[in-house]
Amino acid sequence: MNLLRAALVFCLLLGSARVHSESEPAGYSAAGLYNLANSYARAGKPGMAILNYERVSLLAPGAPDIQANLRFVRAAANLPAEMPDTLDRVAKIASPFWMSWLGVLGLVIVGASVILAQLSSRHRLARAAAAVSGVTMIGLTFCSALALGSRLHQGVVIAAATPVRVSPVPMGDPLFSLPEGEKVKITAEHEGFDLIETRAGRAGWIANSNLAPIVPR
Amino acid sequence: MSGNHIRGIRGAALALAGVFMAVLAFADDPLVYATIQPAQILLGESAQFTITNLGDGTNPITMPVVAGLKFEIIGRTREVQLINGTTLPSSSIVMRVTPQMAGIFTIPAVTPRAQPLVLQVNASASGTSRPSLSRPAAPIPPPPILSGASIPKGVRLTDDGSAYVRLSVPKREVYVGESVPVEIEVGMRSGFVSSLNGLPKLTDDNFALNNLSHQPERTEKLINGEPFVLLTWRSTLAVVKPGAFSLSAEAPLTVKIRTRPKQESSLDDRFGDPFWQNLFGATVPKDIDVKSPAQELTVRELPAQGRPADFHGAIGTFSIASDVSPTKADVGDPLTLRMRVTGSGNFDRVDSTMLDHLDQWKTYPPKSSFNTSDPIALGGMKTFEQPVIASKPGVQELPGLAFSYFDPNTRHYETARSAPLSVSISPSLADSRAAPHALGTAALADNKFAAGLRPDHVETPAMSSLIPLYLQPKFLAVPSIVVLAFAAGWASARRRRGVGERESASDRIASRAAKRSLAQMQAAARVGDVALFFDSARTALRSMLAARWQLAPEEITAAELEDRLGAESDIRELFALADEAKYSGHKLNATDFARWLRIVRRQLMSDKAV
Repeated sequence: MNLLRAALVFCLLLGSARVHSESEPAGYSAAGLYNLANSYARAGKPGMAILNYERVSLLAPGAPDIQANLRFVRAAANLPAEMPDTLDRVAKIASPFWMSWLGVLGLVIVGASVILAQLSSRHRLARAAAAVSGVTMIGLTFCSALALGSRLHQGVVIAAATPVRVSPVPMGDPLFSLPEGEKVKITAEHEGFDLIETRAGRAGWIANSNLAPIVPR
Repeated sequence: MSGNHIRGIRGAALALAGVFMAVLAFADDPLVYATIQPAQILLGESAQFTITNLGDGTNPITMPVVAGLKFEIIGRTREVQLINGTTLPSSSIVMRVTPQMAGIFTIPAVTPRAQPLVLQVNASASGTSRPSLSRPAAPIPPPPILSGASIPKGVRLTDDGSAYVRLSVPKREVYVGESVPVEIEVGMRSGFVSSLNGLPKLTDDNFALNNLSHQPERTEKLINGEPFVLLTWRSTLAVVKPGAFSLSAEAPLTVKIRTRPKQESSLDDRFGDPFWQNLFGATVPKDIDVKSPAQELTVRELPAQGRPADFHGAIGTFSIASDVSPTKADVGDPLTLRMRVTGSGNFDRVDSTMLDHLDQWKTYPPKSSFNTSDPIALGGMKTFEQPVIASKPGVQELPGLAFSYFDPNTRHYETARSAPLSVSISPSLADSRAAPHALGTAALADNKFAAGLRPDHVETPAMSSLIPLYLQPKFLAVPSIVVLAFAAGWASARRRRGVGERESASDRIASRAAKRSLAQMQAAARVGDVALFFDSARTALRSMLAARWQLAPEEITAAELEDRLGAESDIRELFALADEAKYSGHKLNATDFARWLRIVRRQLMSDKAV
C-alpha cells in the first residue's frame, strides 16, 4: 500500500513537471496577441484583429479588455454581436491553465473521498461535502473545455467579401460571400481549400488564403 | 349529226380535256428550292429567304409560316433565257425574314422532297464570338444565276448528264490523324434532278468525315451548256490507318429518266424545257447514287524519330503565346496562366498539361476552350487556362510553356515555346506570425476601428500554447494517472474491508458454537452426566483445534495432541478423560466439573482472541 502511494505521488509529480515544462515554450503570449490584434484594428484590418482577439481569448477568456475590444471591432465591421451562453460564462471564470489543474484537484478530492469511505465510516458529512466540491471542480473544467474546445475548429475570414465556392477549386462557382471578420466552423480541408459552415448553417469552400484558423495548424 | 351525237362528241371532248388537265396536275413538279442567307443572325437583324422556281413559275408558292419569324416579300424576279437554243425560265420570290425572338427556327421545305431550312437567331451577347455576325444586316444580293459555262475539272457527269459529284482533296499524301480539308460538290441539272435524298458521304470506311452541314453553299452554273444547281459542302476528313487508298464520294439523288427513245426525245432536249417533258410524260423518277471519280490517297504513319515527349498528336501548323493575370497577388491567391495555341490543324488533338509540379507553386489541371476561325474548324485558337497559386512571396517567375506538334509541310516535329512570365507575390495576411510593423505607419491613420479600442498591455515573457491545457494530450495523462491511482486505491481498500468482514463473520460463527458447547457442558454438569460433559468439551475443542491447525476434525486425535501440545497438556488430559468417561463411567464431583469448565472456556476464548 505504501508502495502504491509512493508510485502515485511520483507519477503526479512527473506528469506535472512534464506538462509544465512542455507548455511553457509553445510561443504565444496573451499580451502579445492582444497588442497584435489592436495593431491590426488600428490598421483597419478587422479580420486579422478579430482573429487575434479570438486567439488571445483562448489564453485569457475572462480578460475584460479583450472582450471589449473584440465586441468593438465586430461592431465596427458591421458584424452581429455574439451573445455568450452559459458555457462561455463558465469558461471566463479562470484561464484554461488553472481550470485544468482545478479539474485535477477535483479528481483528487473525489477519489480521496471514495477511498476514505471504504476505509472508515466516520465523518460522513465531511466526506460528502468534499465529494460534492470535487465534482463541482470537475464540472467547471468540463464546461470550460466544452466552451473553448469548439473554437479549435473555427476560423476567421480575413479578406473582404470572400467568395464561398461550391467546390474546392479556384474556378468553382461562388455560392455566397462572407464579410471580413466572420467566424466560421471548419469541417474539412482539401487542396488549399477549407469546407466551412456558417452560423446560419450554410456551407461551402473557401480558399485557405482567405481564412485563418483560430488555432494555427 | 344528231343532237345525241353532238352531246357524245362534247362529252368525249370534256373527258379528253379532263385527262389533259389530270396529266398536267400529276406531272412532276419543277425544281423549286429555297435558300436563306445568312443562316445565323443576331436578334434584331434580318435574313433573306429566296424561293427559286426553275420551272415555268406557274405553281403558286405559299408563304411559310413559322412562329417567331416574320416573312415579308420584298421582291419578285422572273427571267427567261435562251442559251444554246434552250429556254430556261426561272422565277424567284425574295423575302425578308425578321425574328421576333432568339432561338433556332426550322422553315418548312417548299417541296415535299426538299430539305427544311434552319435559321439560328442568337441573342446579341452571344454574337461576339462570331465577328461576321456582329455587323448590321445589309441587303444580301441574290446568288448569281447561270454564271460560267465550262466543265469544271474533276467533273464526270452521269450517263444521262443529269448530275455529278466532285470530291476535292488538296493533298495526295497525308498523315494518320491529320485533318485534311475536303470539298464535296454535287451538281444537279435543272429539270432533271428532282431532289437530293441525303448528305453526300465517303465510300471508304477508313476515312472519318466531319459532320456536313444541312445547308450547303448553293450556286448555279452552266456546265456543258446546261444549267446546273451546285451544292457545295466543305469539311475535314481524318484518316485512321496508314496505306494507299482510293477515295471517292457519293450522293443519293432522284433523277428523271426518259421513257421514250433518245431519238424521239431529242427535240425535248433541244428545247431543254422540263415543262414539255412533264407535259408529255417523257420521264419517270428514279433514285440513284452518284459517285465522284476516285482519287488516290497515300496515308503515312507519323515518324517515330524525333517525337517529343509532350507530343499529343497535334498535326498542323501552330504557334503559342502565354500570359498570366493578375501579375501582382498575395501568397495563396489564385492566378490564371493562359496559353493560346493558334494555327490550323487537328485542334481536337491539341492538348497540353501546361505547368506541372512546379516548385513554390501549386498548380491545378488546365481547362481548354476552342474558337474556330473557319466553318470547318480547321483553323482557330485553342486557349488553355490553368489556375496556379504561389506559395512564397517575392518576385516569382513562371517558366515558359512549350507545345509540340508535327508539321506536315516540313515533315518534322516542331516545338513552339513561349517566354517566361514574371509575377510579384506579396506575403499573405493569413500568416498570423506576421509582425504588425508590416502594416506600415500610413495604415495607422484614423479609421473607425482605431477609436474606442482599449489600450495595449505590457508584454510579458510568459508563453503558452493556444490549445487549452486540459485538451493537450500530454496533460490528459495527469488526470488519467490520478483516476487510475484512486481506482487502484479504492479497489485495495474494498478488498481489505471485505477480508475483515469475512473474518468477523467466521468469528461470530465460532463464538456461537463455543457458547453452545459451553451451555451443553453446564447442562451435563448440572445433571452429573460426565460422558456428555466431556464429549461436548471434546467436540468444541476438536473444532477449535481443527480450525487452528488447518486439519480435519477427525484428525485431531490423542496422538496428534501429544505431538503438538505435549503429554501434560490439559486438552490431552481432557481427551483421555472423555474416552474414560465414555467407556468406564468415570465420576466427577462439582469441583471437577467447574475446573474442567473453566479450562475449556479459557481454551475457547483464547482461540477467539488469537
